Amino acid sequence: MSIRVLAIDDSRTIREMLRHTLTEGGFEVHVAEDGIDGIEKLPGIAPDVVITDINMPRMDGFGVIDTIRAAAEYAGLPILVLTTESAQDLKDRARRSGATGWIVKPFDDAKLIGTIRRITVA
Amino acid sequence: MAAGGRERRCVVNGTVSAPAGVGLRTTHVIQGEFRVSDDPAVVLTTILGSCVATCLCDPVARVGGMNHFLLPDGEIKQDIGFRYGLLAMELLVNGLLKRGAQKPRLEAKLFGGAMMNGGLGRIGESNAIFARRFLANEGIPCRAESLGGTLARRVRFVPTTGQAQQMLLEDQVEPDRPQPVAPPGDDDVTLF
Repeated sequence: MSIRVLAIDDSRTIREMLRHTLTEGGFEVHVAEDGIDGIEKLPGIAPDVVITDINMPRMDGFGVIDTIRAAAEYAGLPILVLTTESAQDLKDRARRSGATGWIVKPFDDAKLIGTIRRITVA
Repeated sequence: MAAGGRERRCVVNGTVSAPAGVGLRTTHVIQGEFRVSDDPAVVLTTILGSCVATCLCDPVARVGGMNHFLLPDGEIKQDIGFRYGLLAMELLVNGLLKRGAQKPRLEAKLFGGAMMNGGLGRIGESNAIFARRFLANEGIPCRAESLGGTLARRVRFVPTTGQAQQMLLEDQVEPDRPQPVAPPGDDDVTLF
């Protein structure tokens, strides 16, 4: 059974790229266009991992992390941040909020796929 | 720079009688960079051959910015060059959002993508196609563009108004050389 990924990014171009890359990598891919959309889609998708951008309208990536970590039913759900941001203070905030990992764009396909496999097996 | 090159001036949005940004403080944007400003005293400038500059403005928030990119291999595909082009766009958009812009209000102007003698083949065309596709994909309207041709361009863009002006530079050799593109490093992935 495929690993189910929910990718949240406000850029349609990024969403299409992630869908293409991760589908090629053997994952079942679902997308959402911002944090609110992603949170609303969570129950129906029941993903094995969430990938989220940080800078998004309506609800940003930190909002996604905080909302998921506040819900007992999603305890243990891995959350991977995929962003253009590389500042250490932002990484620290994500770690304190309960994110599982942080990947800086532009990403390497093999590293992204390998990271998803690693954190969904653990 | 186009030292000695002859210039043909062209007002792109047709609303100015004086050169865009005259009397303002100039910030030059080189290949691989982007700049964002909400300072009405700033004008962004660049010189383009095969490269493309995307100029974005939120006319309500009165903030704008410019990037200057070159897809290294000129191919529109899912490779690292495409990723860096996409990164250039995303950094510019995110920089604007952080200054108060809203994505639905963004308006674009595109410049560059020339196929110059002694230049980089059809890379300019690929850059132009990439930029147009990105804007269409993201729902950002392109209010004006000057893409293609065989001449280099000098572009001036007032980020707070969206006013733009280009000068075609005759006798200008290709100013754009692809900058080395490093693959993402090992430190780009952090597991907590």
